Amino acid sequence: MPQVIDVCPLNELAPGEMRLVEWENVEIGVFNCGGSLYAIEDRCSHDDGPLAEGEFDQEHCTVECPRHGSVFDLKTGKPMTLPAYVPVDTFPVIIEDETIKLEVE
Amino acid sequence: MAVELTENQQLAAINADYEQRYGFHDAENYLYKAPKGLNREIVEKISEFKSEPQWMREFRLKALDSFLARPQPTWGSPLLAEIDYDDIHYFVRASERAERSWDDVPDDVKKTFDRLGIPEAERKFLSGVGAQYESEVVYHQVREDLEQQGVIFKDMDTGLREHEDLVREYFATIIPPNDNKLAALNSSVWSGGSFVYVPPGVHVEMPLQAYFRINTESMGQFERTLIIADEGSYVHYVEGCTAPTYSSNSLHSAVVELIAKPGARIRYTTVQNWSTNVFNLVTKRAVAYEDATVEWVDCNLGSRLTMKYPSVYLLGERAHGEILSIAFAGKGQHQDAGGKIIHAAPNTTSNIFAKSISKDGGRGSYRGLLEIAKGAHGARSKVVCDALLLDEHSRSDTYPTIRIGEDDVNVGHEATVSKVGDDQLFYLMSHGIPEDEASKLIVNGFIEPITKELPMEYAVEMNRLIELQMEGSIG
Repeated sequence: MPQVIDVCPLNELAPGEMRLVEWENVEIGVFNCGGSLYAIEDRCSHDDGPLAEGEFDQEHCTVECPRHGSVFDLKTGKPMTLPAYVPVDTFPVIIEDETIKLEVE
Repeated sequence: MAVELTENQQLAAINADYEQRYGFHDAENYLYKAPKGLNREIVEKISEFKSEPQWMREFRLKALDSFLARPQPTWGSPLLAEIDYDDIHYFVRASERAERSWDDVPDDVKKTFDRLGIPEAERKFLSGVGAQYESEVVYHQVREDLEQQGVIFKDMDTGLREHEDLVREYFATIIPPNDNKLAALNSSVWSGGSFVYVPPGVHVEMPLQAYFRINTESMGQFERTLIIADEGSYVHYVEGCTAPTYSSNSLHSAVVELIAKPGARIRYTTVQNWSTNVFNLVTKRAVAYEDATVEWVDCNLGSRLTMKYPSVYLLGERAHGEILSIAFAGKGQHQDAGGKIIHAAPNTTSNIFAKSISKDGGRGSYRGLLEIAKGAHGARSKVVCDALLLDEHSRSDTYPTIRIGEDDVNVGHEATVSKVGDDQLFYLMSHGIPEDEASKLIVNGFIEPITKELPMEYAVEMNRLIELQMEGSIG
């Protein structure tokens, strides 16, 4: 059964910014790509290192793993370059009452 | 009347040593030689020399930051600590451009390649040749009929200029600049290497060859190769490398990316014979999509230290990966070689056959990874690594890693370490074979499963090189 969790007020995540939230020991990175919001698990599928604090490319809506350079598509969670080859989990983002929320399961 | 010599007679007839055949160096008569050390200015200068698009300049500068921020790896070999990145020339330009005729290559450089037999090999059995001297390719040619079929075989600098869209689509997608410290270094100062594109269904029957030569002392060579085999195509790329013997160290750090689209096959053969002052730290990686095959045939003889683990990511169903690796570690050398196969799709298959020979205190290491991802059911793989020690002072290590995330798979792993025993030698000597000959026979028998996979001309060269390495090893 999906659950909805709060991230932050909408005006606290400007375009080009990322916010980390934790839900049941899972870290999730929420990104604002030029006004569109996306959320992925903060874990590179290559070696399980943190992912969301890597270089965020707003123009292409990607994040680069700071450890070995795999670039992930924030919309799909799919790696666009090796060495990662398994997609990471993505989470639907909801805006309700001027608040950013995530649907998690 | 010409007499046809047998392969063994040819082998026996060749009796030069490395110093005479490869260890020579030419006078330095360069258009540009960067001062030692690496900084933003040098990277910008390289990009400016090559009149590159802005995105490539930015790519280089970002990679430089990554190289400077990353610590030197602490795994692999203690010899890594000997590398002084401030004591290296990162860019040396010997010629204005890559020529299409040997006659137009500067005389000094042409003489070098004549001595190494490259133009002759091109005439005899190659589809195309690239010859890189220091940082840049000085000669590049591909057979006209292949060009007419749409085959692209250029030096990487020309590839970027003439096929920018294609290069940009694939460049650094297999090995991103931040993959590791040496890939970051290559990404910031890359120069030369080959760009190959084979259109769908085209089979390049004879190999394409690249030859890499370092001439300058304390030189860094950082070529970048990208091969794309489109659907159902085939290409065999062969590379060879040598350098003069100097007392100070040189660095060779290439990045090689291979992309085999559905049904394609790429074979990549390396005969590495750097002089023993060269650090050879190379990142090689391939992807194979549905029904595609990638084969790495990797022969490492020279260098002070080689760290190289060609890998194949099997991303499509029924893709096949093959790694054949030989490493020969003599006095003062450490060959840390092996391979990685990642099964990421169902019914994929792979083999890794690695052989190392150590003598005179040399160290041969096998380092490998076999990974089967969840969902890659029906995957089959066999890993065999054998080591042969020729004396008491030499060393062999094996570092295999196997990760299996799926139940329905078939994986085999075998490893052996053997020593050339007195009884083997005695048996052969009792049949009238002198001791040094007997030892060569044992070594040749040991590596035969791999040399038989090389094109004839390279198998002969490989056997000859092994013979050279073996000289003086007995008694």
